Amino acid sequence: MKASHLSVVIDLSLTHWELSAREPPENTDPLTLNAFLSQLLVFLNAHIACSHENTLAVFGAFPGKSVMLYSSTDPARDLVSNTINANAYPPFNAVDSAVVQRIMAELDLLENHEQEAPSALVGALVKALCYVNRITLPPSSNSKAQANGFHPGVLPDPRILILSVSPDLSTSYIPIMNSIFSAQKLKTTIDVCQIYGPNTVFLQQAAHLTGGSYIFLERRDALLQYLIARLFACTCMSFLPPPSIRKTLSVPTQEQVDFRAACFCHKKIIDIGFVCSVCLSIYCQPLPVCTTCRTKFPMKTLQRLSQVTSGSSGPVTNNGVGHSKNGVR
Amino acid sequence: MSMDVDSDSDISIDDGAGRKGKGKGKAGNKRRKDKGKGKATDAAYTWEASYTRTWDTVQEDESGSLQSAVEDWMARGRRRRLLAPAAPVRRTIIRHLILLLDLSASMLDRDMRPTRFDLTLQYAREFIVEWFDQNPLGQIGIVGMRAGLGERIGEMSGNPQDVLKAIADRHKLEPTGEPSLQNAIELARSSMNHLPTHSSREILIIFGSLTTCDPHNIHDTLDVCVANKIRICVVALAAEMKICRELCDKTSGQFGVAMNEGHFKDLLFELIPPPAQRALSRAAGAGATNPAADLMMMGFPTRLPDSSAPSLCVCHSEMRSEGFLCPRCLAKVCDVPTDCDICDLMVVSSPHLARSYHHLFPVKPYTTVMSVGDASGSTGCAGCARVFPMVALTTVGEGMSPVGRYQCPECLGEFCSDCDVFVHDVVHCCPGCGR
Amino acid sequence: MSIHLSAPAEQEHSPHSLIPFLQSQSQSLLTRLYQRPSACLSIFRLLAPLQQQIVMNLLWLESAIASSTMAAWVVRDAKRNYDTALLSLFRLHILPTSPVKLALNPTFKSSMRQSLTGGGATGSFGVPADMDNSYSPMTVEALDGYALERWETILHYMVSSGTGQTSLRPSKDVLFLLEQSGLMGSHNGSFQITSSGFQFLLHSPHAQLWALLLEYLRMAEARSMDLVEVLSFLFMLSTMELGREYSTEGTNSTPAAVQTQKAMLSDLRDYGLLWQRKPSSRRFYPTRLSTTLTSSSPPLPTSSGPSSGVKEGFIVLETNYRVYAYTDNPLQTAVLNLFVSLKYRFPNLVVGAITRESVKKALANGISAEQIISYLIAHAHPQMRKNNPLLPVTVQDQIRLWELERNRLKSHEGFLYTAFASPADYQLVLNYAKQLDVVVWESGAKRCFFATAEGHAHIKGFIERRTGAGGEV
Repeated sequence: MKASHLSVVIDLSLTHWELSAREPPENTDPLTLNAFLSQLLVFLNAHIACSHENTLAVFGAFPGKSVMLYSSTDPARDLVSNTINANAYPPFNAVDSAVVQRIMAELDLLENHEQEAPSALVGALVKALCYVNRITLPPSSNSKAQANGFHPGVLPDPRILILSVSPDLSTSYIPIMNSIFSAQKLKTTIDVCQIYGPNTVFLQQAAHLTGGSYIFLERRDALLQYLIARLFACTCMSFLPPPSIRKTLSVPTQEQVDFRAACFCHKKIIDIGFVCSVCLSIYCQPLPVCTTCRTKFPMKTLQRLSQVTSGSSGPVTNNGVGHSKNGVR
Repeated sequence: MSMDVDSDSDISIDDGAGRKGKGKGKAGNKRRKDKGKGKATDAAYTWEASYTRTWDTVQEDESGSLQSAVEDWMARGRRRRLLAPAAPVRRTIIRHLILLLDLSASMLDRDMRPTRFDLTLQYAREFIVEWFDQNPLGQIGIVGMRAGLGERIGEMSGNPQDVLKAIADRHKLEPTGEPSLQNAIELARSSMNHLPTHSSREILIIFGSLTTCDPHNIHDTLDVCVANKIRICVVALAAEMKICRELCDKTSGQFGVAMNEGHFKDLLFELIPPPAQRALSRAAGAGATNPAADLMMMGFPTRLPDSSAPSLCVCHSEMRSEGFLCPRCLAKVCDVPTDCDICDLMVVSSPHLARSYHHLFPVKPYTTVMSVGDASGSTGCAGCARVFPMVALTTVGEGMSPVGRYQCPECLGEFCSDCDVFVHDVVHCCPGCGR
Repeated sequence: MSIHLSAPAEQEHSPHSLIPFLQSQSQSLLTRLYQRPSACLSIFRLLAPLQQQIVMNLLWLESAIASSTMAAWVVRDAKRNYDTALLSLFRLHILPTSPVKLALNPTFKSSMRQSLTGGGATGSFGVPADMDNSYSPMTVEALDGYALERWETILHYMVSSGTGQTSLRPSKDVLFLLEQSGLMGSHNGSFQITSSGFQFLLHSPHAQLWALLLEYLRMAEARSMDLVEVLSFLFMLSTMELGREYSTEGTNSTPAAVQTQKAMLSDLRDYGLLWQRKPSSRRFYPTRLSTTLTSSSPPLPTSSGPSSGVKEGFIVLETNYRVYAYTDNPLQTAVLNLFVSLKYRFPNLVVGAITRESVKKALANGISAEQIISYLIAHAHPQMRKNNPLLPVTVQDQIRLWELERNRLKSHEGFLYTAFASPADYQLVLNYAKQLDVVVWESGAKRCFFATAEGHAHIKGFIERRTGAGGEV
């Protein structure tokens, strides 16, 4: 069987995990970070269990900081406990203890700050891509990979799983798009599971453009047990199979893909916007000068476009009566 | 290690870097020396090079390793990046290009293997694929020059498959007769007449002949092109012609004569990145309104899944389940980018726009950490977690770090050279800053 | 004529060699085996990817799921694969056979869950030994060296037995196993490698190891060892950590089990699967041979010489039939010598050529052309992997043609019937012989035919009856 590589990016935004853990009536089915982590560890173990050659890397997106929690090529020796258990498979032990200890250590460091920064999902994603790039590079230029048992020519089937709880961060629009294009170049699949909060437009696009699956755990009137079972069933069913097997399985894919973008001026997510013809910067309202490339736009256009938007503040909405001839041309 | 010598020569770390000059080997250089003082250019023509060995371009170091040669290539890429201007360059992103192919009898020459014609077709296909990858909002049309006429081969289209299909059948394009530059340029010009001002108009001519037979004065055509702001680029396969040079110079295009197969491809592919608009704005004077710039209204659609209920699309009036919804009038169109047939809104998928954003916000070049003392305490690369070497190398190429560390000026994270290349050439986003 | 190789692709889909063995065991035995989490994990690893996914999906369900629900999860084109995967799981008794509902074998389910989540008190992943300060611990390199030495001794003995050279003899138990498995046999009074032994040499180390272990398992019952104990000890070894010392105690309680384990320790020590300081020691180290048992392409220490850095392939084959083997390993050289005529030897390189004679010699030893080709593919140098097809087609075809050459003549024992008096007599006897389906060759012009030996008695009787009845022959 072919080896496959899995990079997991965990969103560890404490604020959102705290929201997710709140009891009803705020949440129909609360899920705490601890409960989630124990499910996650089982999932990671399941990935390693599938094949001896499977490789794993875990990245944590903490508020304002991204950290590599574990990688099977260079396991952190200082963290792996030396006591091993007769009742557990040693590699599972190593992953579990490394991931948990690192997360706890990082969370302890965080508590000094009152104002929480948004989680560094992009940083973690780019790190995951760097790591995929490293292991898929021909080993001639990195002799260390060879020593770690990578076979030249046998490239592990790489994929990235993002477990997100935060809503879209519009400042990260461009970096996420750039990451998507590099994932395409690396032939890496990005899977997304939105565990809490609203649908994220950007991650939806990421999964769609790289051929991965996007799963949104809807809130349902169900018990905690059901949610966990469902989370696990979902993650296993959809995210465990390597892409080569997915051809044979009807893995759930997303219903609709939202191709909305974030504007550069107010970082709002918009469905109709104004685009500079020179640099393609997106704005939610007509501007006289492009802030990115400092191009000045003709007054004529500005007048025409502000007519279109007059009456509604901000972006154009869907009630498009009378707009029909005021388009681009 | 003896095995690695002959095969690693085809490593290409970075497109463009180090590829130039690969086609001409030692053999060519030697011959020119025999001839004494020859041309001012430093390269041999195809017919002069007798035999090319690709492995001549890589050199082993004293220990027989190729590592240094490979690193040298990477260093060259780094230096090139440092030289590039840090400020975002203004580029034309919505492009319209007419590819003018010479289909005259001179294309049957065999000085480029297998023939000029076959090679041109092959490179044209690769060019189109790569061009659409970097210019997703652009459109390409194809015109041929054959038997004294200009011949429309492919209509202007934004779909790479349509364009590729137009030149898929080589039997329909069999070269014959004399070329006519004027007729072909007039045809190309007329098909770009209707384009809006904010998009670029470009003509790329691949020209193998040394003659052109035109019905009128070609300089008049050239003047019209200048007036219409059409940019003409020429890749000549035979030799430089005065009129070709003039076409390019007056329309601020690029002119080049291909010396051999590799150089031909380089010349062609240099024209893929969106052209910078510096020249234009300077001509208009600082602070002046750029007439080519405009603010456009665009809609970002929702894609319907394949499993949704079928409905009629507005573009073909066919029953389909998949498609995109115009955000303003909610009409269903089959493909993007397009103009909505109902409300005339330009419907584009935002990833199309996003493909060119890395031109706008490039990652700052990383600084080279020169000694162990300057290095921070981190043991591994901040990107891929590879462990840094503990001992500094004694000999390194210019621009290379002896300790293998490259530091981001913003987040002060240190990266290995592989990640440095990957971050700047592929991701365009620093893992440490997350921006 | 062109024959193209499809073998590697098929091999990928064929199940692990242990699976058919397990499938042939009884349900009660397997259920007993499934009580150990380590055994469940190891067997899970040997399953095909699709089977793994099916198991994983059923693992976390509390109640049975309707077969139709599960089948909806598979796209239509893959239905056949899915059905075979289910069938295989039925036969392993991981899934009880049931047409409407699917649920995992409860024993398997709870053990597998335990192996993933940890916990429990089965101790099936091996009890680590306490630190012993009186000895310095074994390094991984030393263990690799030990395993390599043991394993190559066995293989080397097999290779050299054919050539008449003498080499180190493995222990008696190993020789017995080799004989039992039919890899070696007594021939002209000397203990020699058989044709299946030659084929064995060309397999990957992983396949070789499992071939011997399967034979060991078959013998285990004859030696009145508990098969469940034997299997679970093997699976436990495969989940252990390389370079760690384990204790022999604590996992088993019954005297029979202790006895079985003791016997196994000494056997597996002979094969190089584990290392003990002295035979009576109560602690042992697993070697890389055992910790990679359940991986599909193990980085075995055997595939590289002690000093050469070549871990992957080492053979370069050119279109002119020349073979360059970058190795200093005498075993690899000896194996190559089976079908290559070696020309020069350098410290790290052996040069030879594939000739008609050398291939014929190999064919005569019972090695097939396919095996030679797959060996060359499996051990091709990384540089060769850039070629497509990997081996020069001319050489591949020629090796196959040489094999076909051998099949030009086919001998039958039998009798030639000739000197028939009349065409009618000839026809009569010939028709009778044809009815018996024993005619190999016939010639109407020469009025003779050849029939196999089995038919002779009947034909003779027929002719005699005819003669006796007054007809003439």
